Amino acid sequence: MNTETATPKEQSDETYSIHPLSGAATVAARTLSAPLSAEINAALDASPKGEVAVRSLDLRIPLLEKNDILAERNRGYFLGRGLAALNLVSSPGAGKTTLLERTLDEFAPQTKCAVLVGDLETDNDGNRLRRPHAPVAQITTGTVCHLDASMIARAAQSIDLAGVKILFIENVGNLVCPASFDLGEQVRVVLLSTTEGEDKPLKYPPIFKSANLVLLTKVDVADALGFKREVAVENIKRIAPQARIIQLSARSGEGMADWYAFLRTLAGAR
Amino acid sequence: MIMHELGMMESALALVQRYATEQHARRVERVVLRIGTLSGVDPESLRFAFDVVSRGTTAEGASFEIESIPAVVFCRSCQKEFKGDNGGFIFQCPTCGDFCGDLRTGKEIELGRLEFS
Repeated sequence: MNTETATPKEQSDETYSIHPLSGAATVAARTLSAPLSAEINAALDASPKGEVAVRSLDLRIPLLEKNDILAERNRGYFLGRGLAALNLVSSPGAGKTTLLERTLDEFAPQTKCAVLVGDLETDNDGNRLRRPHAPVAQITTGTVCHLDASMIARAAQSIDLAGVKILFIENVGNLVCPASFDLGEQVRVVLLSTTEGEDKPLKYPPIFKSANLVLLTKVDVADALGFKREVAVENIKRIAPQARIIQLSARSGEGMADWYAFLRTLAGAR
Repeated sequence: MIMHELGMMESALALVQRYATEQHARRVERVVLRIGTLSGVDPESLRFAFDVVSRGTTAEGASFEIESIPAVVFCRSCQKEFKGDNGGFIFQCPTCGDFCGDLRTGKEIELGRLEFS
């Protein structure tokens, strides 16, 4: 989450490099409006062979600037409302929606939760997650392979966040693009399911690198699949030493208590 | 993934245009981007995107360069920086062997430098 915003350097820091110029371009330079024309004329005066200054600027401005600014705005908005936003990212089918269904049933009745869910098409996930006690908004992205901060800002306005302590953002199933887009979340959660293989973190490092929490999901079928949990955990730790790791199964319930404890701590800290 | 490079280039070009206007520039001569080796951005796609989005603007035909920024990682145990370009995204401190997550440079996607005439 790069929040650094570079500012253009002061005028006085600009440097002028002298390039040879043809007679025609010199004429064009004379037609320029101030203040550049003055600079060029000064440079022309200073250069005996009719060379002209090319003005250069050192900028260092991040190109995701627009999304980053919106993401910071979202973060401030969420913080101001006293809620914690979690950005859930994984491959399609890693179990984001199933995990959220169970979480809404078991955890949300005590601590109010809301969900923003992104998919390319359909509101199937939104319908699966709809509960009387938890507002849900479906975001359909069309062909866009990730959620961005402006989609979150709009969707967050469409639901009633009164009393909500935890906002789950279920990202589009994709392990590549969502890594680059800060949504303004407090916690980025990356899910890795046991059906995917232990080396997924090594194959898709950027997203794991950016995780605050990694959930190893579907651990109930790990043995049947020959999935070695300790190898997966080792791989996660190598890529993302900063991330907390929870192993769970939304079907058997194993590890769900740890997940809820994590959420409770987040909600309590608001 | 060309879509991202296009979007980034559109932001870049909007900035280029803004500065070109501000500086009363006749033409944009050179655009330099700073791209970290671990930014996940493909330089070739950026080049292609630049050609596409600069068409018909003051930046059309400008020299387009990419400055590659190497990855530097900070080890908390040793309180020292080390180069992180060798192991993909696995940063292991060469001194103490710890795995480190504190990437100091290498993720830049920035408009670095502009030259106008």
